[in-house]
Amino acid sequence: MMSLLSSVYAGVIALAGEASQSSSGGLGDLWNRLKDDFINNFITQKRYMYLLKGLGITFEVTFFAALLGIFLGIVVALIRSSHDKLKDEMRPGFLKGLLGFFNFIANLYLTIIRGTPMVVQLMIAYFVIFAASNNKVLVAILAFGINSGAYVAEIIRSGIMSIDNGQFEAGRSLGFGYIATMVHIIIPQAFKNVLPALANEFIVLIKETSVSGYVGLQDLTKGGDIIRSRTYSAFMPLIAVALIYLVIVIFFSRLVSLLERRLRNSDR
Amino acid sequence: MIVEKGDVIISVKDLKKYYNGEAIKALDGVTTDIRKGEVVVVIGPSGSGKSTFLRSLNLLERPTSGTITFNGTDITSKATDINKLRQKMGMVFQHFNLFPHLTIMKNMTLGPTKLLGMSAAEAENKAKILLDRVGLGDRGDSYPSQLSGGQKQRIAIVRALAMNPEVMLFDEPTSALDPEMVGEVLEVMKQLAKAGMTMVCVTHEMGFAREVGTRVIFMDCGKIIEENTPEQIFTNPQNERLVSFLQKVL
Ligand SMILES: Nc1ncnc2c1ncn2[C@@H]1O[C@H](COP(=O)(O)OP(=O)(O)O)[C@@H](O)[C@H]1O
Ligand SMILES: [Mg+2]
Repeated sequence: MMSLLSSVYAGVIALAGEASQSSSGGLGDLWNRLKDDFINNFITQKRYMYLLKGLGITFEVTFFAALLGIFLGIVVALIRSSHDKLKDEMRPGFLKGLLGFFNFIANLYLTIIRGTPMVVQLMIAYFVIFAASNNKVLVAILAFGINSGAYVAEIIRSGIMSIDNGQFEAGRSLGFGYIATMVHIIIPQAFKNVLPALANEFIVLIKETSVSGYVGLQDLTKGGDIIRSRTYSAFMPLIAVALIYLVIVIFFSRLVSLLERRLRNSDR
Repeated sequence: MIVEKGDVIISVKDLKKYYNGEAIKALDGVTTDIRKGEVVVVIGPSGSGKSTFLRSLNLLERPTSGTITFNGTDITSKATDINKLRQKMGMVFQHFNLFPHLTIMKNMTLGPTKLLGMSAAEAENKAKILLDRVGLGDRGDSYPSQLSGGQKQRIAIVRALAMNPEVMLFDEPTSALDPEMVGEVLEVMKQLAKAGMTMVCVTHEMGFAREVGTRVIFMDCGKIIEENTPEQIFTNPQNERLVSFLQKVL
């Protein structure tokens, strides 16, 4: 086991163009090399700060982008499902025209966002739309939030559509208006159904923000990359970055499955 | 306006509902009056327009043409507050449509507290009385999924009653039930009729129609073919379509 590991590591080091001294691959030797590598990549000149600060940026961007995404997603989902539900019921007039217009905008938004790569959207946001701004974090939050909103919208809309129409009719027949029926009867059920999917979208978002480096934002991934460019050693910083993402994702995935179990239990 | 027994509550004139242009005539000119205290039972073959008729009465379906007046006001007119109107017409569905995310008590108090401005305590008291009346006084804290079909339908009936409706509309309330649970639901409906509630019931329960109904409407192809007292409908049917329908179901 140990020898397998050591040979893998030796291989990686060689690949990284890193084989410095000729070595016979003794365990003590390997340990020393690992230690040197570690110190060189993380301790010297406090290089771990690149990872730490990067992690902070990753969290900041993810958190606020997720908030923006949820807000946009709810608005777009409500516009789309209201349009589907009300277009037969509403009389022609200003309100109906307005809803139709909003629905058109919502569809355009979904098509563009889901039809183009995230990195391209991010670069367009930074270099074209907000070219005047130097606030990379804010631009990234907007770009990732607007992107996530499109996916959240479809998650929430599918949640609303998954609710039996009889629920809607029962609400309306009691005398609740369209909005009150949505608020008291449909959305609580839909939200419960889509909570796990929304949490998964959050996990996806954490990983997606790793392309922030394209606009020079120093997130976790970029932090690891900067270390690599300083130490000319790829293995340690990149594996460290991967491990940090992995731990975060596993942590949130655990939370999601805990949540799912809770929800299933409350269904009885 | 005070409506007395025998006065017209709902008046339906030449009601039409078409789908796909004029390809499907779900309702093809229905005219009838529903009077205070009546128990009108609507029968007819599947697809004859019974549900469409019933659901037009509280505008869950928007008629293509024709008028419906409720207590003298035209409910198809733009000016009518449809939500206010629906509060006065309770509706019971084939598939119960209880709110699964709420307890039985919350199912029953949601409407009265949010729409009638009742306090929570007031609404709960009223709900308890109604639950007791249908023998489910101890199920207030249960969730719908914990109840049998018959229990769910009894809850659905009292949930509608909690809004103090003037009319109750039933669309095949026992069709989704296991046979052994049909009786308990019909019993609640019978009590309700005895208490003087105005009811319009779409049902295949001919026993109920005969025993509880004050008038039977037979529909076919979106039209009222025959309407009369249960006595006359069952012992002296005139139209041959009614005769053959009765032969099939009795
Ligand atoms: N949304 C709809 N679109 C098209 N046709 C419909 C729709 N709803 C009902 N129909 C048709 O209208 C007719 C009457 O339906 P319905 O009132 O449900 O009949 P019943 O309740 O007597 O079985 C049927 O032919 C049915 O197929
Ligand atoms: Mg029907």
